Amino acid sequence: METILEGRGLTRTYWLGATPVAALSGVDITIRRAEFLVLQGPSGSGKTTLINLLGLLDRPDGGSLQLDGVSVATLDENARADLRRDRFGFVFQSFNLVAVLTASENVEYPMRLKGASREARRRRAAELLAQVGLSEKREVRPDLLSGGQRQRVAIARALANEPEVILADEPTANLDTKTADEVLDLMSRINEERQVAFVLSSHDPRVVARAQRVLTLQDGRIAGGASPR
Amino acid sequence: MSLFALALRNVARNRRRSLLTGGVVVFGFAAIALAGGFMSQSFEGLREGTIRNGTGHLQFADPAFFAGNEDAALEHGLPESGRAAAILSRDSEVQEVLPRIDFVGLATNGTRSVPFLGTGLDPAPEARTMDTAKLLVSGRWFLDANERGVVLGSGLARALNVKAGDTLTLLATTPEGVLNALDATVAGLAEIPIKELDERYLATTLGLASELLVASGRVSKLTIVLREPADAEAALPRLLASLSREGIGVAGKTWEDLAVFYRQVRMLYLGIFGFMGLVLVVVVLLAAANTMMMAAAERTREIGTLRALGTRPSTITSMFVAEGLILAVLGCVGGALISVAIRAVLNHAGLTLPPPPGVAHGTPLHVNLYVTAYAAGALAMSATLVAASWFPARRAARMPIIEALAHV
Repeated sequence: METILEGRGLTRTYWLGATPVAALSGVDITIRRAEFLVLQGPSGSGKTTLINLLGLLDRPDGGSLQLDGVSVATLDENARADLRRDRFGFVFQSFNLVAVLTASENVEYPMRLKGASREARRRRAAELLAQVGLSEKREVRPDLLSGGQRQRVAIARALANEPEVILADEPTANLDTKTADEVLDLMSRINEERQVAFVLSSHDPRVVARAQRVLTLQDGRIAGGASPR
Repeated sequence: MSLFALALRNVARNRRRSLLTGGVVVFGFAAIALAGGFMSQSFEGLREGTIRNGTGHLQFADPAFFAGNEDAALEHGLPESGRAAAILSRDSEVQEVLPRIDFVGLATNGTRSVPFLGTGLDPAPEARTMDTAKLLVSGRWFLDANERGVVLGSGLARALNVKAGDTLTLLATTPEGVLNALDATVAGLAEIPIKELDERYLATTLGLASELLVASGRVSKLTIVLREPADAEAALPRLLASLSREGIGVAGKTWEDLAVFYRQVRMLYLGIFGFMGLVLVVVVLLAAANTMMMAAAERTREIGTLRALGTRPSTITSMFVAEGLILAVLGCVGGALISVAIRAVLNHAGLTLPPPPGVAHGTPLHVNLYVTAYAAGALAMSATLVAASWFPARRAARMPIIEALAHV
């Protein structure tokens, strides 16, 4: 499969006061088109840090990161923002929907950033919300939605600009078992139907079981890889 | 969902806080609008008082007269005052041309002599256009231009112990340096607003002043009253040109050039109200900055999310600035409505203000609808809210995304 993202020797160190904490220590990783990759590992192993670096939410201290073979290390904030808008989708553990916007408006937001017309935004948001099973909740604000519904809105939002990669950090951590399964079913279906790469971080075995490829992180390093299905 | 609509919803999100900030803007705007209206009324009153108390809109005289180089009355008088007055009267904007003779002298009642500042004037047009005749507290104004009478300031009358109908002797030096004396009857007493002037004020007819000073047709100056709305600045060069074309070389000044007192009071008022306005702006700035900082802090995680989705930092800043502007606009609209309501109440309350400097009596309170103050209020409030929004927004927009997303 074609490589979209490639990280080589990625390092990231945080500082707790004067004490350096190595979150990632020389990680090599490749994200391929339309794959379903799960990063697993215990808390503090570096999963979230790696997701943040891959999604251009943070900058590595060392190593290189290339998107379609082009280094993104030296891009300024605006260029990185544009890449996030156009090439990536994000699903967060706590859903992170904008409270003052309806479900439809939340989905429309990334499209608005890209300059899509109001009509096009409305049409696509309706289509995406229908795909995640929330047609009847289009005009409902997030505070009136259940956790599963919010996460489905977040998935629809992540798909808004037809990204190549959706990065999801612990997407099922705040959901009950049944809802988590529904959300994972939805992600798997989208992955297959739309050929969008998914990179999930989780230590939930049910999530790992869905993966085409699993990378295990331990103390900021890749400790192993597998392909469960 | 436009940026503006999103900002509007964020304003509505925390109604209590937005109401508080909006209330501060309403207060700030209303204070500026009402203070501006009051100041405008004061300036108008002072301007009108200055013009109608004798200064007129314009004055024409020999350049040496304005330079204060006159050692004796009429030393630099206008010899062709009649012709000059006729030329000036032809201008369509000139309502009245008032010839005047300024002089100093001594008034005596036989036992006591008191120095005075005298003005010889044409009583009929003066009564039509100036307030001096309205300041009479006893007696009457002059009946004709040659009456051998005087109107005294009440302070001067007290010093001389005279009343209307009594007789005085006036002593003055002619331009040739000869001491001359004439008897005159006290026609009336006027209460001049400025105490120091009230103790020295003496008005008489042009006829009596000319005879006393042996003026030979000369006057000290020509005072011009323009038709309203008067534009003295525009009229001055036009009238000077008219005189010059006829071969009459004089200097001219507008009432504002001559009214040193008016300019000083105006500067004082502007200083006081300017300082008040500055304090208001600082109060609004602090209140609004506090609100915006709280809003930015509360929405740190949301800002992180928006940035993760591809929103540029400048767009985040613009969103907060838009919120500030919305609060400013709503506050200004509320402030304008409240200002108009308060103004209506005050103007119909029948309140009387203490007399402004140089005026004897209090004036009815009337707060003007001063559009410039409303515009200044709106501008000041908008600029203040933009500044109050911009700094916390910029800080929030520049925070590392992962830090913002991890904010609890």
